[in-house]
Formats: sequence, C-alpha cells, structure tokens
Amino acid sequence: MAARPSRPRLLLRHATLVAVSFVMLLPFYWVMKTAVTNENIYAYPPGIVPRDPHLFNFVDVWYLIPFPRYLLNSIVVSAIAVAGNVVLNAMAGYALTRQFPGRRAVLALFLSCMLIPFQATIIPAYLITAKMGLLNTYFGLAFPMLSTIICIFVFKAAFEAVPRSLIDAARLDGLSEWRIILRVLLPLSKPAIATNVILSFIWSWNNFLWPLLITRDPTMQTLPLGLARFLSYMEDTTGALYAFAVLVLAPSVLVFLMAQKEFIRGLTSGATKG
Amino acid sequence: MTAGKGWWGQRRNRQLTLIACFLLPSLAIFFLYRILPLGWNVILSFESWSPLKPAAWVGFEHYVEMWSYDDVFWVSLWNTLIFIAASPLVIAAALGVALLVNSDLRGASVYRTIVFLSYPLMTVAVGIIWRWMYDERGGIINYALRASGLVDGPVGFLQSFDWALPSVIFAGVWQTIGFYMIILLTGLQSIPQNLYEAARIDGAPAYARFFRITLPMLRPSIFLCVVVGILNSFTSFDLVYIMTNGGPGHATELLITHIYKSAFEQTKFDYAAALTVVQFGLLLLLTYAANKAAGGNAGAVEQD
Repeated sequence: MAARPSRPRLLLRHATLVAVSFVMLLPFYWVMKTAVTNENIYAYPPGIVPRDPHLFNFVDVWYLIPFPRYLLNSIVVSAIAVAGNVVLNAMAGYALTRQFPGRRAVLALFLSCMLIPFQATIIPAYLITAKMGLLNTYFGLAFPMLSTIICIFVFKAAFEAVPRSLIDAARLDGLSEWRIILRVLLPLSKPAIATNVILSFIWSWNNFLWPLLITRDPTMQTLPLGLARFLSYMEDTTGALYAFAVLVLAPSVLVFLMAQKEFIRGLTSGATKG
Repeated sequence: MTAGKGWWGQRRNRQLTLIACFLLPSLAIFFLYRILPLGWNVILSFESWSPLKPAAWVGFEHYVEMWSYDDVFWVSLWNTLIFIAASPLVIAAALGVALLVNSDLRGASVYRTIVFLSYPLMTVAVGIIWRWMYDERGGIINYALRASGLVDGPVGFLQSFDWALPSVIFAGVWQTIGFYMIILLTGLQSIPQNLYEAARIDGAPAYARFFRITLPMLRPSIFLCVVVGILNSFTSFDLVYIMTNGGPGHATELLITHIYKSAFEQTKFDYAAALTVVQFGLLLLLTYAANKAAGGNAGAVEQD
C-alpha cells in the first residue's frame, strides 16, 4: 500500500508475524527435539534443548517396524498416482480446451464433483473396489487418485494460455493433433506439469483414510498406516515414534520448499477456477 | 476435407473421437469414485444390507433409528457443527496474517512460507505431533503452563471432556491456516490498487478502506475459504482418528468418524450410508447458505 507505514507500526507488524511464526514452527522443533533425545521422553520437566542429541531413534525405526516395506509401498502408490495424474489430467485438460457437444455438461459435472469430498464416498468406494478385486493392491490404492479435477483445470488454463496462432500455424504445417499436443502444448506447459506432479505426490503420499479402508494386509500398507499402527502398539512410549514422524514428513517438506511456487500456483488456480 | 472418405475420414469426427478418448478415463474415474458412490449411498441408506445377507428395502428405518435412538449421532452432529463454526475465526485470523504479509514488508515471503509450511504435511504425522504437544508430561504446552504458574497440575487436554474438542480443532487450525492465508492473499493481490488511491484522495480513513473496498472485493475468496471450512469437517477424519479416535467418550466424535466406525468396525454399512447422506446433505445446505450469503454468484465460474 502506497503510504509508508511509520516505524513503530512496522515494528508492530514484524512482532506480530514473528509471534505467529513462533507458534507455527514450535511443533516442528518439539518433534525434532524429541526425535533426537536419548533420555526418558516422559521425564518432567522436559528439556527445551536435547541433552547429548543422537540419531539412535532413527536407527530404531528401521528395526522396530518394517519401515523399508512401508516406504516402498508409499513410493509405488505415489508413483502410480503421479503418472496417472500427469497423463490423464493433461488429456482431459486438453479435451476441455476444444469445442465439442456436451462441453458445458462435462464442465458442470467436473465442478460439481469437486464438491463431493472423497470421505463422503468411502462405503460404496470400498464396495466397488472390493468387487473389482483390487483390495490390498497397489493399483487399488492409487485408483481413486489417478485423476484430480483441480489439476485438470490447471492443465486447461495452461493450454489456453498458449497463443492460438501458434497452434493454427502448427496445424497449417500439417502437424497431427498428437504432434501438436506433444511438441507444442506440453513443452509450453512445464509449470502445469510440475504443479500436477507436486500436488498429486503430496496428496497420495499423505493419504490415510483410503489405504486404511482397503489394505488389511500389513505388507501392502503405506507409511501413514505404518505410523498409525506404530502409534497404536507402542502407545508413544518411545522417541522412535517421533523419529518415524520426522522421516515421513521430510519428503513433503522438501518437495514443498523446493517447489513452493508451483504448489501454491496449483492450489490457487484450482481455487479461483472453482 | 474431401467428401467420400467416409465417417472416419472427416476431420471433425476424428477430432471428436480423440476428445472423447481423452475425456473418458477421467470421467470413468469420477463416475466410479464420485457419482456412483453418491447414488449408491442413497439407495443403501434405504436398505437393510450387510456383506453376507441380501438387500431388503426398509424405507426410512435407518433415519428413524438415527433420529430417535442414536445418541452418538446427535453428539457427532453437534461436534461437526462446532468444527465448522470454528472456521470463520480461523478465516479471520488468516485474513489478518494475509494483510500483514501482503505489504512490502521485508521478509514477507519468509513469513508466508513459515505459515504455509504445515499445510502440505501428512495429517497422521500432524496428529502425532500435536498429541505430543498436548502430552501431560512430555508436552511443551503443559510445561509452559506449569512453569509459568498458570496451572498447578498437568492438564490432560486430550483426555478432558471439555478440552479435547477445542484441542483437536486447534491442531487442525495450525495445519490449515496457511491454506486460507494463501487463498486470501491471492484475492488481495487481485484488488486493483487504484481503488485504494481513489479512496485515499477522497480522504477515506483506513477502516473505511478495509470495510468498503477490501472486504467486498475479497468476497469470492472468503466464500471459497468458507466452503473449504465446511469440507474440513469431512476431511478432518485423519486428525481426529489419530489424536483421540473420537474420545474421551464421544467428546470429539465427528460424523465422519461415526460413519467410519459404523461401517468398518461394526459392519453396519447400510446405517453408515444413511449417516453419510445426512452429512452430505448438511454440506450442500451449508454451502448453499454460504453462497446465498456471499451474494448468490460467488461460486460462479467459467464465464465463457
């Protein structure tokens, strides 16, 4: 805003934001502090800084629970979901940039589907997946997440931003529809692809309810389920639980910090579009 | 294109086929996992059915049971409404932060990143972290309260009937406030600056500029935040499941946890379907009311 705020007001703003940041960061600090603490974590008063920090809890995670298995499952499911999102959303996004009979109906359908939270569909979704014989499978875990409406609109917006004249020129040069998509549209929509990858990765990586419903087999469980299981049979008596939490959080924090711009663009473009 | 090549030879038809093929996979997924379940839920809610016995039409029996005999339903409905009612406060707080961050303040982007950092986290881990924050012995909140002399003994936040729900809500706020902030920030940045300049020339004081320009121009963003707040009552399943699993008693039971337990712990799929229909109806009703309150067309998209 144009008028320069006076110095005390500027200080007040910083003070408020520092206080807010403190509240936002405190849980991160507390869980990391607990994860590297060797002493009895229930000792009172708890130390504010860890005495002789060490990484023993992280080693524990590896041995106490089938961590590598959970990790593998999470990675496989996320990879399927990300691949599905990029390909299927790009296809649907492209289709929506074209004129065809029923276009408005399809758009209306997508927009109304956005208002149906996945949680409201769990019972039939479980029954459908069971009927298809996909319980306890990687594909079943990823299936409902293979395409996301927000991300379809991200692609649609990116394709629409490509100048019409460029596409017409390509068409005049005799490029087929496929070529136009692969050689012209997609290379010009790299930010949209990045947004798709990041959003779908974070959503599938963090997803808990769906794997909770359809994986009874412990060898097919993903990291969030492993974490919840660990919590239920360890009754948070050990620092390893918090080391596990830190390990699980690290990838999404890293992805977010590296690609904050794409992440936020995806959320807000989805938001302003619908 | 020349005639006589048949149907396939026509460019328009070829393109339409391509478009259809491109749309089908996504449409199939949304049909299988959004539309079909919605209808199935409604049908199932009027039936008596379990995986081992054939379905029988029972009319409104489940709804009558819910209304007259299921105390947990009423508790969880009430808790869900409290959950939703908390969101305007969060949106107000997020608006405050967004206004502070939206200036040319030095370090604004750092503050923004910090506030947003908790949003992309796995909710299961967030629940575990906050259980630990609230813990009676190892939690920093109890430690701070006791060290400063505000309380004499430890407060079992998540074990207390009075404190459990606010505590869970606060953990949810911690995770979602950054999202609201980002939405509002985008809204703030789309307000034309010359409106403010004109108001300043006319001598409008700061509060008038806020209530006459900022708030009305932000209406679509605020509406969106409200809708997300309503949806959060569904999506907060993970947090409640991990932090309290609905307890103590049913003090933090939400409709969605009640649905989950009825269906997957007591195998009353039919009854849980009726609960889902009620919650989804509530969601539609509240969204419709919010849309009306926002001026009727705040959710309108796609003007072309």
